[in-house]
Amino acid sequence: MLQEESDLALIIAQIVQKLKGSNLYAQLERQAWASLQRPEIKLESLKEDIKEFFKISGWEKKLQNAVYSELSVFPLPSHPAAPPEHLKEPLVYMRKAQGSWEKRILKSLNSMCTELSIPLARKRPVGEQKELLNKWNEMGTDEPDLSLFRPVYAPKDFLEVLINLRNPNYENGDSHSFRTHLGLIQVPLKVKDIPELKEFFVELGLTAGQLGIDDSTQVPPELFENEHVRIGQKVLSEQDSAAAQQYIRQGSPTALRAELWALILNISSQPEDILYYEQLKTNVIQHDLLVDSLIYKDVKLTASNDDYYFVFEDYLYQVLLCFSRDTSVLGHFAYNSASPPKSYIRGKLGLEEYAVFYPPNGVIPFHGFSMYVAPLCFLYHEPSKLYQIFREMYVRFFFRLHSISSHPSGIVSLCLLFETLLQTYLPQLFYHLREIGAQPLRISFKWMVRAFSGYLATDQLLLLWDRILGYNSLEILAVLAAAVFAFRAVNLMEVTSLAAAEAVLADLSTLKVMPLLQIFLFATVT
Amino acid sequence: MSRLSVPCHVKGTVALQVGDVRTSQGRPGVLVIDVTFPSVAPFELQEIMFKNYYTAFLTIRVRQHTSTHTPAKWVTCLRDYCLMPDPHSEEGAQEYVSLFKHQSPSMTFPKWLSHPVPCEQPAPLLEGLPDPSRVSSEVQQMWALTEMIRASHTSTRIGRFDVDGCYDLNLLSYT
Repeated sequence: MLQEESDLALIIAQIVQKLKGSNLYAQLERQAWASLQRPEIKLESLKEDIKEFFKISGWEKKLQNAVYSELSVFPLPSHPAAPPEHLKEPLVYMRKAQGSWEKRILKSLNSMCTELSIPLARKRPVGEQKELLNKWNEMGTDEPDLSLFRPVYAPKDFLEVLINLRNPNYENGDSHSFRTHLGLIQVPLKVKDIPELKEFFVELGLTAGQLGIDDSTQVPPELFENEHVRIGQKVLSEQDSAAAQQYIRQGSPTALRAELWALILNISSQPEDILYYEQLKTNVIQHDLLVDSLIYKDVKLTASNDDYYFVFEDYLYQVLLCFSRDTSVLGHFAYNSASPPKSYIRGKLGLEEYAVFYPPNGVIPFHGFSMYVAPLCFLYHEPSKLYQIFREMYVRFFFRLHSISSHPSGIVSLCLLFETLLQTYLPQLFYHLREIGAQPLRISFKWMVRAFSGYLATDQLLLLWDRILGYNSLEILAVLAAAVFAFRAVNLMEVTSLAAAEAVLADLSTLKVMPLLQIFLFATVT
Repeated sequence: MSRLSVPCHVKGTVALQVGDVRTSQGRPGVLVIDVTFPSVAPFELQEIMFKNYYTAFLTIRVRQHTSTHTPAKWVTCLRDYCLMPDPHSEEGAQEYVSLFKHQSPSMTFPKWLSHPVPCEQPAPLLEGLPDPSRVSSEVQQMWALTEMIRASHTSTRIGRFDVDGCYDLNLLSYT
């Protein structure tokens, strides 16, 4: 067997293995059995007839969507000799850095426990369970005393860790070289330059229509918008994930967005999914976690204070509390450089049969985490659907924004991409900001870590997240960050302090995302 | 087809330098690794497997025995095989690599270690889709691999995070 064919067979075997455990497999089996009743299914050509039936009834399309989803999410199988940690992160020094960072988080959480004398987890007494169940839909009205809790970390703490990342095999000279004096990120990851970005984001070019530009009131809808909406409706009726992903690169009409995102993420609300969500809710009712207080605090500090999102406060508690009980999220650690924290049942320290993950989903929220969920509340109002969409967005995209890895969509690559774009195409601005002690990444980091949630107006944010889904990449966050600096370059050249630079860039709520991206990528003279 | 790994002795790297001058500042970009097979009879090599550590290009020369009468010859079977597409960045820097017999160009099979010819980039992109029934029969052959995958991570949802209903935890563990 040639190498390419054995690679392909391995990928297929892996996908088959994954799908065999899914609801879809059970459904397909049931459908195949039921189809035996049909007159067109003949015994002598059973296999072909059933395959034809699947094609006509739309089940083949569902299978295609599931396969496409697996291909989009899971990395290709690597070399047979590569151990599991290599799949998580191939570079040893990055794995070590992630390990050290995690240890710091664990220590921080443990000291919070000891200082406040609160256990990590406890079973709620029955009375408390009843009380919580009664006010499940209005947890926002609760005003628990959270003053003693502090977020485990904030984005700026994480940035310091990234700044100190070093490749032990990389040396740029004995003395401080020119390179080390420029940006903050010092690891030589491969990032795209503008010609490569233009090719990657070709659908955002000047000759293609865009929602976010060509649907503004001055532009007659016959030129682009009407046709684009019509195509969107067709994509939805065909229920084709791959087509939807291609379509959404030019933006999604507001009315179709919820369905399109669900199609791309391969989310359909089956009864099993609603039951699963209810089970998670039961888990929340039964066990109280320290992490819950962190979630409460985060929502109160961020989303509740935001003009756009405060109305969704109750939804946010429901989704995030359930999220932390969801053990299916543990699956994403196979391709995430991070690992879930471990603990032991009280009194059974060191006994492996009593080892558990904490929280059950292995994800410790940080300051601003709830902002990943907030924009989704505009699209989905049914809690279990909202939950499924958020979970899928997290295990596909958001986890990369707060773990140390060499992945092109990982936060380290995004930071380097941002800095490189700025240095290369706006060198004067970059130099000026550095000179006044305002390293650009210190300002833009928080935007990228939150995928711009809470910084852009919601309609603009959703147009941006359309493209994240369409290109299956977070690189657009770095490009937008650079485009914002380019847009405000004139003002930034005049400031003389970090505080003044931050003031120029404090309010992004009036920005129109698509024109900025288009100008930066396709219309700037380089 | 049974394959055995051949015990080998990997010597330390030797830097290639021009002239006799050894300077501490000069850092040669070419290192040579000698691999010997001390106690093995001549064999047919199928695959070389290794983990890269920041090597950009690889050349392999082999001393081949053709027959008992002619002395063994050194031949180049791989020249400047690219392991890192951009040597100044991390791509491919720490990857696991397998080199197969068929990847080195040869005039006659199985004398794969024949003439020193420029090496072409291996494995051209697959044009079009493969034949499904052939692929599915190969999938069945790969079932041993799926067992390995199954062992490394579960694909079914477990759901329970507690141990017998108990989830009382004090502190996180650092190990």
